[in-house]
Amino acid sequence: MFQKKSIQQVMDVLREPELAKQIVQWKTIEPREAVSVPLPDSLHPTIQSALSKRGISSLYIHQLSAYEAALRGESFVAVTPTASGKTLCYNLPVLQEVANNPEARALYLFPTKALAQDQKSEMNELIDEMGLDIKSYTYDGDTPANIRQVVRKAGNIVMTNPDMLHAAVLPHHTKWVSLFENLKYVVVDELHTYRGVFGSHVANVIRRLKRICNFYGSDPIFICTSATIANPKELAEQLTGNPMTLINNNGAPAGRKHFLFYNPPVVNKPLNVRRSATLEARNLAKLFLENHIQTIVFARSRVRVEILLTYLQELVKKEFGTKSIQGYRGGYLPKQRRAIEKGLRNGDIMGVVSTNALELGVDIGQLHACILTGYPGSIASAWQQAGRAGRRQDESVVIMVASSSPLDQYVIQHPDYFFERSPESARMNPDNLIILVDHLKCASYELPFQENDKFGDQEIQDVLEFLVDEQVLHKRGKHFYWMNDSFPAHNISLRSASQENVVIIDQSNVADVKVIGEMDRFSSMTLLHEEAIYLHQGTQYQVEKLDYEEKKAFVREVDVDYFTDANLAVSLNVLEVDKETTDEQNAKAYGDVMVVAKATIFKKIKFETHDNIGSGPIHLPEEELHTSATWLTFENNDLSEEKLEAGLLGIAHVLRHVAPLFVMCDANDLHVVPQVKAVHNQQPTIFIYDRYPGGIGLSEKVYGSWDTVLDQALSMIQRCPCESGCPSCTGTLEEGNNSKNLAVKLISQIKGATEHVDSK
Amino acid sequence: MSIQNKLNRLKKHMVNPVSTPPVQSKQPLEDSSGKRIDHADYWEKFGASAYFFEEDYCIIRKVEYPLDTKWGRYRFSDALDAVSKWQDIDAEHPLHARDLEASDLLFFDTETTGLSGGAGNTIFMLGMSQIKGDHVLVHQFFLPGPGSEVALYHYFLNHVKELRNLVTYNGKSFDWPQVKTRHTLIRDFVPSLPEFGHFDLLHGARRLWKDTLPAVKLSVVEKEILGVNRIHDTPGYLAPMLYFQYCNEGEPSLLEGVFQHNEWDVLSLITLYTHMSGIVTGKGFRTEKETYESARWFEALNEQEHAMSLYNEVLETGNSHTSQSKKSLAALNKKCNEIEISVQYWLELLEEDHLDEEPAVELSKYFEHIQKDYDKALHFAVMAYSRWKGKKRLTKRKEEQEKQRFLKRIERLEQRVIQYS
Repeated sequence: MFQKKSIQQVMDVLREPELAKQIVQWKTIEPREAVSVPLPDSLHPTIQSALSKRGISSLYIHQLSAYEAALRGESFVAVTPTASGKTLCYNLPVLQEVANNPEARALYLFPTKALAQDQKSEMNELIDEMGLDIKSYTYDGDTPANIRQVVRKAGNIVMTNPDMLHAAVLPHHTKWVSLFENLKYVVVDELHTYRGVFGSHVANVIRRLKRICNFYGSDPIFICTSATIANPKELAEQLTGNPMTLINNNGAPAGRKHFLFYNPPVVNKPLNVRRSATLEARNLAKLFLENHIQTIVFARSRVRVEILLTYLQELVKKEFGTKSIQGYRGGYLPKQRRAIEKGLRNGDIMGVVSTNALELGVDIGQLHACILTGYPGSIASAWQQAGRAGRRQDESVVIMVASSSPLDQYVIQHPDYFFERSPESARMNPDNLIILVDHLKCASYELPFQENDKFGDQEIQDVLEFLVDEQVLHKRGKHFYWMNDSFPAHNISLRSASQENVVIIDQSNVADVKVIGEMDRFSSMTLLHEEAIYLHQGTQYQVEKLDYEEKKAFVREVDVDYFTDANLAVSLNVLEVDKETTDEQNAKAYGDVMVVAKATIFKKIKFETHDNIGSGPIHLPEEELHTSATWLTFENNDLSEEKLEAGLLGIAHVLRHVAPLFVMCDANDLHVVPQVKAVHNQQPTIFIYDRYPGGIGLSEKVYGSWDTVLDQALSMIQRCPCESGCPSCTGTLEEGNNSKNLAVKLISQIKGATEHVDSK
Repeated sequence: MSIQNKLNRLKKHMVNPVSTPPVQSKQPLEDSSGKRIDHADYWEKFGASAYFFEEDYCIIRKVEYPLDTKWGRYRFSDALDAVSKWQDIDAEHPLHARDLEASDLLFFDTETTGLSGGAGNTIFMLGMSQIKGDHVLVHQFFLPGPGSEVALYHYFLNHVKELRNLVTYNGKSFDWPQVKTRHTLIRDFVPSLPEFGHFDLLHGARRLWKDTLPAVKLSVVEKEILGVNRIHDTPGYLAPMLYFQYCNEGEPSLLEGVFQHNEWDVLSLITLYTHMSGIVTGKGFRTEKETYESARWFEALNEQEHAMSLYNEVLETGNSHTSQSKKSLAALNKKCNEIEISVQYWLELLEEDHLDEEPAVELSKYFEHIQKDYDKALHFAVMAYSRWKGKKRLTKRKEEQEKQRFLKRIERLEQRVIQYS
């Protein structure tokens, strides 16, 4: 009988030559001792005793710093890695306040409903131990009407999410008088999730919140907690508009952690193609799972999650049954997710395959091993995923399996880049005009503006006048009054796509047709088109009909040996040029563009071999996106159109990875589109645009640094060991074109300098 | 021949409001400094006056109707009777005007800039009617522009101190919470909101007519039940749009229709209250369905005596609703320990309807638990089961549960029969 190995023994297996030669980096992060301090004397006696009943007799140093900052009346942001006891950073000051003043109120904001539910149970246990009459409630779409009344009037601690605050609390602030009059603390958990469009929306919701507080005479202290990012203080200040104290003296202990970089073997030398990261991740996961070591596997896309899940469930079917390995991603229904979280905590579930949905502080306990299938796109994200493995005492292992993409190969060959450099900044742009106008409408609905009022620190006179012209507001005297019979918050979603979700309906069983999930509209173009194979919890479904108007996809269970992959054609129109510089070789510009995306065809790709075994057209309408972009135009004198295209595609392939590295954002936030003849000037052009409507300032940063970005791209191409372009640099094209050469030549031409390719 | 001419000629055949000239205002349309308000000429002609408070003002309009004016099927004076009839009724009822005079009732309605209940929805008109001696007084308070709410509510709360007996249509969940919202926003500048009591007629209208009317909106009830036919009415849903247009163009005549609509609404509430009271107290004409629904209303309020007398009325006079009434009577009698009477009703029901298993179930219980006559109990249990089997049901799970219940009873009774034979 096969003997189960301990985690140390599994690591010995990893050190065996066969595997070890693929492990290009083995970094051991030494354990860290706890830095503890006694409970402060000023802490209310009931809290002291409640903590000691729960076996807490001291605080970590950062928890004390948080407590003291709050007592001094400072808003602060605490940077707290996973399992460092972050909840006490906010619960202590809040409970202290409520214990001393039963009228005091606190508002907790969690990015999702599920996190609020988790926190409520934890908070209520602590309150029960204290034996005081402190009322803490969640307030979300599921709260029954009769409870809502109680929450509004008597809830000391109200736990909700930004969407609820935006659409249900602020527009009805007159029903929440006692909350707003007595609001002492606003807690923002998982601060790092408030970036991009969502963050920009929420920053405006908080501007509205502060306006209402001001009306009722309160000025709450903001407490934020964040995972490790480069700019927690800046982000918190942008989000809340308050000056922030930074608390990052983490005093929690951590066990020894091994961080391994695994580069799959090269299977095709000339093309520099490596074995699929997905398959390698599967084998590594198997090693842990068959030894009963609880493991989490992260994959970059929903499809990858489902593919890995199918593989793994198959592998362990005999030993544990398929239920012990579960998938976890957006699109699963909340109930399903709760069951998986619970199964992980109590050990019923041995392995989980997840998208970044599990980066958030969802409580799944701490696992022993973590496998990252591909570099997640940002350092911050990688550390958060890695944080899922690691206990306070035990050793843990994190393995990052690189794919062939240039970014993965760059990171895996430059471990210093990953381990030494600080994680990315989280960016937002609360003054994005589209978002700002949306929230000014909501704010006007809530309370009339006066002439010369500001919104946060933003001058808004012009916008208000615009809204008067639009007959949304009415100006009388010095005031701007809401003059419309609509309810503006209902038409504005904080998560740009969430209202537009496509519901996935399983009609395999005619007598029991049921909804099995949902997906945002943009993704549905490539994942839920007719004939697509949609994978859900490892089961294959074929899409029989996508009702794009009604946002419904009808699927039926099938059993096939392929998956589908769809192409998205993108066209770009320049709407307005904001900035422009021209020199002899090229012209660079920054401005507003309209992106039109259309799904064109899909391919059927066989499992295991990944052969292309068929294709078909997709008939779906175009989707439009107004955003900001930067673009670089140059004149082509000597290359044929075909060669030009090949070269451009090669450069774009590299830029897709270099540009995000340069502005420090997720690779999904910036898109690169090359055009042989751009619509606006009929010249070869490379566009880089922000993926969010209105833009969030990323492409603007690229605009100022095109030369640096091109240099980086050039050196990445030249350093790649392949001969004529490979997936790790310029991508592979049809036979006969040396895309590597063409790309290098083009960059030189664009930059106006002559450079030669090293003939390796 | 236009419809309009036709309507005008038929006008006297229709029951339609008699427009009385508004009460001439003696209040000024100029502020303390002698400056006349915007559109003062118009408001003067319209019979409205201004109320000044600090820098601002609101518009007040009063209209009087003689008490014997006919409004739909009733005269306003009939409300006096309706209220006094209530004094003879010894039961709890949401329409009960206990120890009140008709003149204590305040018929109330608002016009708002939207239907959502949030902070951005403004009330631009508060309207009410009240019986005052020999006439009915309609009193309207109008917001001349957003931002003048302090003046509006200052006047409203200082002149209408007694809000204990508001009569509204859906005021409990719409108008009054909206008044509270507006008040919260300016609570530091105006008197506090007094205690208020509420007769919300929507609730009762739903009980009485939801099966017979396509929608239980006030306009439908007016037309179908009260016999009030409005001519040239401005529908309520246009009110927000007209108000916005008025705000933008500053043309108060745009709102004439809204003033009139609100006026008619608060007048119809008097007729509606009179009519509904008559139905429930039994002093007016009522259809069988209305009698039956009134009985159910009393039953829901736990007023068994009133409920039973009304159910009996249905049995005496009616052709419809008799079996439901009998069932209810049986249940009520059982509750009052008059089970022998109940048994009579169940036996009758058993004869009248060969599909309904309920009376059989009840009889089976009666013979098992009270008479201890297990043979009879078994007989009815089997009858109930066979009747139940003949019906179609919607959900499988419930069906299974019910089936088990029947089989259990039959099994238990079979054993009893063996045991005691």
